[in-house]
Amino acid sequence: MKMFRKFTVAASALTLMASLAHADSTVRFWYHFDNADNPMDELVAEFEKQNPGITVEAENIPWNSYYDNLYTAIIGGNAPDAAMVKMFAQPRLVEMGALEPIGARIDAWDGKAGLEDNLLNLTKAADGETYYLPVQYVVLYLYYRQDMLDELGLKVPATCDEFRNVAKALTRDTNGDGSPDVYGFGFRGGKGGHDHWASFTLSHEGVSLEEGLTSEAGIAGTQYVVDLFRQDGVFPPSAPNDGFQEILGAFKAGKTAMTIHHIGSANGIVEVLGDKVSAAPVPECGGGRWTSFGDESTAVLSSASDKDAAWKWISFLSSPVNNARFNEATGQLPVVKSDAASWSLHPQRFVKATVDSLPYAHLLPNVSQTSDFVNTAWPVNMQRALTGEITAKEMNEKIAELYAQ
Amino acid sequence: MTDTTVPDAGPIGRPLGRRVLPYAMLSPAVLVTLAIVFFPMVQTAWMSLHDYVLFRPNHFEFVGLDNFRKALADEVFWISLQHTAIWIGITIPAQVLLGLATALLLNQDFPWRPLARALIIIPWALPSVVIALMWVWIYDSNYGLMNDFLLRLGLIEQAVPWLARPDTALGAIILTLTWQGFPFFAVMILAGLQSIPRSYYEAAAIDGASAFRQFWHITLPGISGVLVTAILLRMIWVANSFDVIFVMTGGGPGYSTYTLPLYAFVKSRTNLDFGYGSALAVLFTLLLMVVVLVYLRRTGKAVSR
Repeated sequence: MKMFRKFTVAASALTLMASLAHADSTVRFWYHFDNADNPMDELVAEFEKQNPGITVEAENIPWNSYYDNLYTAIIGGNAPDAAMVKMFAQPRLVEMGALEPIGARIDAWDGKAGLEDNLLNLTKAADGETYYLPVQYVVLYLYYRQDMLDELGLKVPATCDEFRNVAKALTRDTNGDGSPDVYGFGFRGGKGGHDHWASFTLSHEGVSLEEGLTSEAGIAGTQYVVDLFRQDGVFPPSAPNDGFQEILGAFKAGKTAMTIHHIGSANGIVEVLGDKVSAAPVPECGGGRWTSFGDESTAVLSSASDKDAAWKWISFLSSPVNNARFNEATGQLPVVKSDAASWSLHPQRFVKATVDSLPYAHLLPNVSQTSDFVNTAWPVNMQRALTGEITAKEMNEKIAELYAQ
Repeated sequence: MTDTTVPDAGPIGRPLGRRVLPYAMLSPAVLVTLAIVFFPMVQTAWMSLHDYVLFRPNHFEFVGLDNFRKALADEVFWISLQHTAIWIGITIPAQVLLGLATALLLNQDFPWRPLARALIIIPWALPSVVIALMWVWIYDSNYGLMNDFLLRLGLIEQAVPWLARPDTALGAIILTLTWQGFPFFAVMILAGLQSIPRSYYEAAAIDGASAFRQFWHITLPGISGVLVTAILLRMIWVANSFDVIFVMTGGGPGYSTYTLPLYAFVKSRTNLDFGYGSALAVLFTLLLMVVVLVYLRRTGKAVSR
């Protein structure tokens, strides 16, 4: 009897604990910050103070394996409740049934009117549903060394022809050892460099990843990139393998005079180069301009145990003031108009270059092939074209084949 | 016989218990091995017969040997296979020769010998990722030690982007792995060398044998057992290791440093094509099985001795 009573007490305690656990929700949130100065703990503390009963477990996952981990966690049934997500991953996540539609929640949310125009349209899924809530954005532009252009009496290149001439002039042997030690442009041939190639190729009229890539204009775009490396020698010899760290490192070290990236790297570059560096929209090539819209949103996962709590957390991150604090760490731009208006964390010339580039900003196609394009098809084929293993035409055909599947 | 050696083997159950006991003792190990080795192997083989792309979890279709046919017609499979053969074919002999030379040196009497023996093990003790990052820096075309060294010696006229050129990238990685792996051979061979009695050499010297003949007729037979086992083991490790390549070049430029395990990894982990990735892994396992069987035969013989 005594035993039975003990068992009853223990069972009641367990039931009580379970009901308490139910009342207190936990939101598991995955994000990726490269910056060591991580404000997430403060944001979480602030949110938990405002929302007693909700605990946020925010986990910073390294960027290199972020999507590999996210996809496998979803398949393995251990997905987070909410996560930071990019547009290129949306088709796959939708196909996996991993995302919770949040269109109705956004419509009913006070913060909707405060978001930058058009962001919700840009991040809408192909099926017309809304799964993403924008949290930060960037637009890629051309970084250039103002001091080097001034020294040589050159103007900021506005077209591809001008770009080629300027890049050639900037490629110099300044120490007299017989080989160049400054290169005109730091091209990213490794993963993530598709943005560079796209600015020179997808800008051509009638050319996109899904159409016109094997046309004369499409091939001319890739050939232009290959020629810059192989004929003109305006990229450093390591360009085929260079990734983000290498192109930024070389630019900061004065090994390259121009490169393409976004405002996220501006403060780091200014710290080293000061006023010697400035930025402008990427050049016009083949009748148009194309630059990449670098998006970052948050989403509620369909497997979330408490979707209301997950929504509360992600909408908190895209609300005035919180969004600014979030972006202070990532170095990107806030999606909330009031936060953008009072933005003073980047030198004005880089904010201007971003705003000036917005009209030419594009997203990659919202289809599941885009992940393979970004991760393998583009880097492998670009490297082969740069090293002369395949022609520009063959490279474009490989990418067109992928998108035709 | 049994009854006389076991003093109190009275009850009927005891011999049965004795028969069952070894299996009972071994079964946890067997179960763990089955769960963590054989189950994933069978699962990989099963997945290789399916069209299974991770982001389409509901389209798990049986396609028979289609993935294997696709692999055999895939240009990248053959490129990767060729690189794997070059990778193993150069790395292992280079590690053996360097290891042998080091072991012979370390077997001599000289001051600070224990320190030299300790230092030699460092490359082997460092994690692969650290080694890969270190060598990426050594090969850097702007700041790397390699270019600086060769330029100063006048062997090259301008810096070479070792990892960004298809004709040098694989060689550069092979050199890295050779450096990482030779201490394993050095230590194994050194152990073998120390088991050869000194009297053999003294007798050979009295008979007038040259240093080379002593090496050929005494040293080499003395270390052959250790050497063959170490080579077989290392072949399996080297064939499977792709972490160094992954960190140093990610397989690039183009496909110039793709090996089969790396290709299977890229297909499965990056492209999420688990069906095709599994087929590549199964094909590679079958190829590697030859080496594994030779190794198992050797270890089997050693145990039965």
